[in-house]
Amino acid sequence: MTLASMQSVLKRYGSCAALDYIDLEIHEGEIVGLLGPNGAGKTTLIQALTGILPVDQGRISLFGDSRNPFSDANKQKLGLVTQEIAVFEELTAKEGLEFFAGIYGLRREEKKKRVAEALEFVGLSAYANKVPHKFSGGMKRRLNIACALTHRPRLLIMDEPTVGIDPQSRNHILESVQKLREQGTTILYTTHCMEEVQEIASRVVILDQGQVVKEGTVQQLIETVRHEETIIFDVADPLGIPLRQVESIAGVSQVSVSGSRITVISAAGAGNLDRILSVVQQHSGVLGIQADKPNLEDVFLTLTGKQLRDREGSR
Amino acid sequence: MRVLSTVRFTLLRLMRNYIVLLLLLAVPIALLTVFSVILSGMVDEAGRPYFDQTALTMVLAFQLFGGSTVMSYLNEDLFARNRERMTVAPFNRTLYAFSILLAGSAFSFLLGAAIMAYTRLVLGLVWANWGWTLYLIALMAVLSSIVCVIFVCGVKSFSTAERLSEVYGVGFVLLAGLFFPMPQHAVFEFMGSYGNPLTLSVGAVRAVEIGNWNEAWFQANIVLAAIGFLFPVMLVMGRRRLR
Repeated sequence: MTLASMQSVLKRYGSCAALDYIDLEIHEGEIVGLLGPNGAGKTTLIQALTGILPVDQGRISLFGDSRNPFSDANKQKLGLVTQEIAVFEELTAKEGLEFFAGIYGLRREEKKKRVAEALEFVGLSAYANKVPHKFSGGMKRRLNIACALTHRPRLLIMDEPTVGIDPQSRNHILESVQKLREQGTTILYTTHCMEEVQEIASRVVILDQGQVVKEGTVQQLIETVRHEETIIFDVADPLGIPLRQVESIAGVSQVSVSGSRITVISAAGAGNLDRILSVVQQHSGVLGIQADKPNLEDVFLTLTGKQLRDREGSR
Repeated sequence: MRVLSTVRFTLLRLMRNYIVLLLLLAVPIALLTVFSVILSGMVDEAGRPYFDQTALTMVLAFQLFGGSTVMSYLNEDLFARNRERMTVAPFNRTLYAFSILLAGSAFSFLLGAAIMAYTRLVLGLVWANWGWTLYLIALMAVLSSIVCVIFVCGVKSFSTAERLSEVYGVGFVLLAGLFFPMPQHAVFEFMGSYGNPLTLSVGAVRAVEIGNWNEAWFQANIVLAAIGFLFPVMLVMGRRRLR
């Protein structure tokens, strides 16, 4: 069953299309990883899908309802984990969750039970009576997730829930997402962290410049770039390398520089390693060479010509 | 019912907001204590202790700033940090905003009553009519909250709304001539008599002290009329902003 869908959705900010005739479907039981660099339109897509932001054109449907997708009945089945931590600093963790359970109409006994469950789920039971301003960043993130869980949503939308936290909290969150899926919750998970998507998503949607560039399972996406290989050179003087000359080698489709590292994408089996190496060696000392199997990062680079995360950029 | 369940938490947030407690309770109490020492034994031409007038004016003047908490919570919950989560939740946000307004006004009123109680129990000040003074504190608290809601709904930038609320509070304190006397000019005299909620409230309490209930009701009703006039303005602006 399709829980949420967008058909030809357009959202403009002035002349810039943040969502450029997007089509998207989220089916029951999936974890859909929405992957894209900063500014790709991920948050705008979430805001449009949850009714926070009105769209200029197109059709949005939630739980099969496209006439009034943002009715209270549909909102009751929807959970949102916001990118910004939205917890009450003056209320204890337990009181904060009780507040949100209350606005979802949970009654006294049920509210108590669900709040305890949500705290247990995110590993904050021991801190139930503490106020969040004493929490670490990771604990606040986990509390932020718990706020969206007390009413047991059928569809949970998570907007970059692991931004700026320590690895332990990140792992805890990813495990929680897997557990939620096992309990039957459908999840739309946005991030610009490829590893997270590779770890948890049953389907990946790659978004760039407001458009869905590609979608499929991780394996399906990797298959699309298997005909290419990535060769990484660690060099002493990256600025001295004539990138145009490397790009002009037959079979080379992409050259980018990040720090002292030069990444070259070349057609698989083209035997370009020697040719590229000779060009590089003429202009700089080579400290190391590495050939990588394609991953989602390569898929993204191939499809959009950009690095997934904000690095030093490519020349 | 869903909004009703939030009132308890709004009150808890207010009670644990130590900056609000400091500004609206601790500072006035400290100032009143200092003034009670400085003005001890001093009386005006009519033989009334100077401290009585100072205490009354200060209790009412701090109500001018009570609405800033309402403004801050509205902004945080409906326009800034918690906006997305509140928008996605299946509850009436307009009603929620109204509940914050009521809780904030009630809290400001309670702080005013607590200051009054302090002046009576600790400083020994005798209030002529407790009920009437509390009524005027309530009017001032509600008016301040409404004005601040209009500010936060009327301008996009919260900093601007904050500055406007400060202008509202400090402006009326200045116009009341508390810092220095206002010039003898028709505009200032008109403002003092009919347009300044602080002087109107002080005047209404003073009128009761001398038994002039007509004058007292007249002045209090001007404040009430201002509330009646600004309430629909607040509704329109609030609905427009929450749309």
